Amino acid sequence: MRLLWPIALITFKEGIRNRSIYGISLLALLMLVANFIVSDMMSQEVGKVAVDMALSAVSFSGLLLVLFVGINLMAKDLDRKTIYMVLAKPVSRAQYLMGKFLGVTLLIIACLTILSCFAAASLFLIKLGHPDYFQRFSWPLVCLSFSFITLMLILVAALSFLFASFTSTSFITFILTIISYIIGMALNDVKALVEAPQAVGITVSPVTVKVVQTAYYIFPNLSFFDIKTQAAHGLPVSPSYIIGVVGYGVVYITIVMTLAGLIFRKKEFP
Amino acid sequence: MNRGRFFPILLLMVTIPAYFTILSNVTLLNKRLPKSDEMSVVLPSPVLKITSLDFDGLASDMLYLKALVFYGSTYSDKGQRKVKEWEYNWLYNTLKASTDLDPYFLDPYFFANGILTWEARKVPEVNALLVKGSRYREWDYWLPFFIGFNHFYFLGDNDKAAEYLMEASKKPGASPFFGFLATRMAYKGNRTENAIIFLERMLKTTKDQTLRNDYETRLKALNAILFLEKCVAVFKERTGRNPIKITELQELGVAGLIPADPYGGEFYIDKDGSVKTTSDLRPMKKTKNN
Repeated sequence: MRLLWPIALITFKEGIRNRSIYGISLLALLMLVANFIVSDMMSQEVGKVAVDMALSAVSFSGLLLVLFVGINLMAKDLDRKTIYMVLAKPVSRAQYLMGKFLGVTLLIIACLTILSCFAAASLFLIKLGHPDYFQRFSWPLVCLSFSFITLMLILVAALSFLFASFTSTSFITFILTIISYIIGMALNDVKALVEAPQAVGITVSPVTVKVVQTAYYIFPNLSFFDIKTQAAHGLPVSPSYIIGVVGYGVVYITIVMTLAGLIFRKKEFP
Repeated sequence: MNRGRFFPILLLMVTIPAYFTILSNVTLLNKRLPKSDEMSVVLPSPVLKITSLDFDGLASDMLYLKALVFYGSTYSDKGQRKVKEWEYNWLYNTLKASTDLDPYFLDPYFFANGILTWEARKVPEVNALLVKGSRYREWDYWLPFFIGFNHFYFLGDNDKAAEYLMEASKKPGASPFFGFLATRMAYKGNRTENAIIFLERMLKTTKDQTLRNDYETRLKALNAILFLEKCVAVFKERTGRNPIKITELQELGVAGLIPADPYGGEFYIDKDGSVKTTSDLRPMKKTKNN
């Protein structure tokens, strides 16, 4: 940890200084301002739409943060060859990778906390204006959803580290990460669809079913972290589900980062 | 002024007004573009669910807004509404997709029930939508209340109506009035009177101005019908027969003035003595191409 911390700190500082963050924050703020306009157009469920918009703004901005800032933080060291300077110190490659990941994790947590505060402020103000339309609103559920989004983004960042450990350019890492995110988000629905195709009147070959079932075990099921509907409608989320999802996230991140460390150890730098 | 600076400023002075002129013209032309039933296609719900990733709640909100904005845009300059049959189909499909993405979302159910039943007469379809909604929104009394009303008013099935209203009355926060209404429906018709009560309830909880305007117009029309129905009853009591023409009510002094139909139609007495309107409580179409 003593060796990881300086790398994590410098990665975090580098990330905070990245100008993309300003753009992403501006986008998030615009989405939150749009929240006032859109939710005001609803005739009944102002609270539901406000929560949807706020959580989506945080989730989308966080995703952009991982894709445009997180990936670059790792790639920059490789592209500018500054990695040699770090590896010349008594730091193993795995420690370097873990330090970087820790830095990106800190960056995600810090940025998401700020974004969540803005989102919560927008919700608070809308709630103040339409108190009668927030009857099923629950702050604990909204906060839980913010936390799940943060954990999901850390998992996506871990995947980007895995891809960065064996790809030669940051662009390929970016593409692989975005594909994994899309698969991870759609996996649950696709699996349900191919396993019961008769429900929507389509036919699916057994090979496709097998492929999807295999993918289900390989790719992360990111929809586990999506409790926006529950937060928007104040639907209960059991403590066992929360523990299960956190456990799933932590174990998946550990597996991915261990694999990334193993591959990165053998990586040849140009 | 420096020539190098003068030219760009001059160019901007010409292009900016041109931009606004072209924008308003193209917007108008775009509205007039011929559109067909093919445009009523809405992506199937499983596809929408998969492609919306973790933003399905937001996608549901956007689909609902799209339907709402579209419906609002069907108002012409003269305050008349022009909605074609395929446009009602598109509205239904969009609202259905919105509720497939988020079946807990109340607004699409409200909107579908408020518009598609009265105007498009898609009562069975809307009822199916509402049944789906009440499966998810177990705590909500509105959806069974709507289903009950639709069974009573549009389908003439008082038993089913009473059954759903009873179900609504058992939900938390439901007005005890629902139970009373259920027994009343099970006992006898009172179609117009109950419809007025129903609309007044909806008006109380609807914030959206477009929908409120629609409900208010409908309420005005129903109040006029109720007034005429009461006049017909008095007429029958005095003469022992139903009036043939609506003007007979004035001639006998039962009605001072025949109220105007806010939808632009004219009230008349049907063969069975019931009060009807030529607008059928739908906005009157003024041109052939509507």
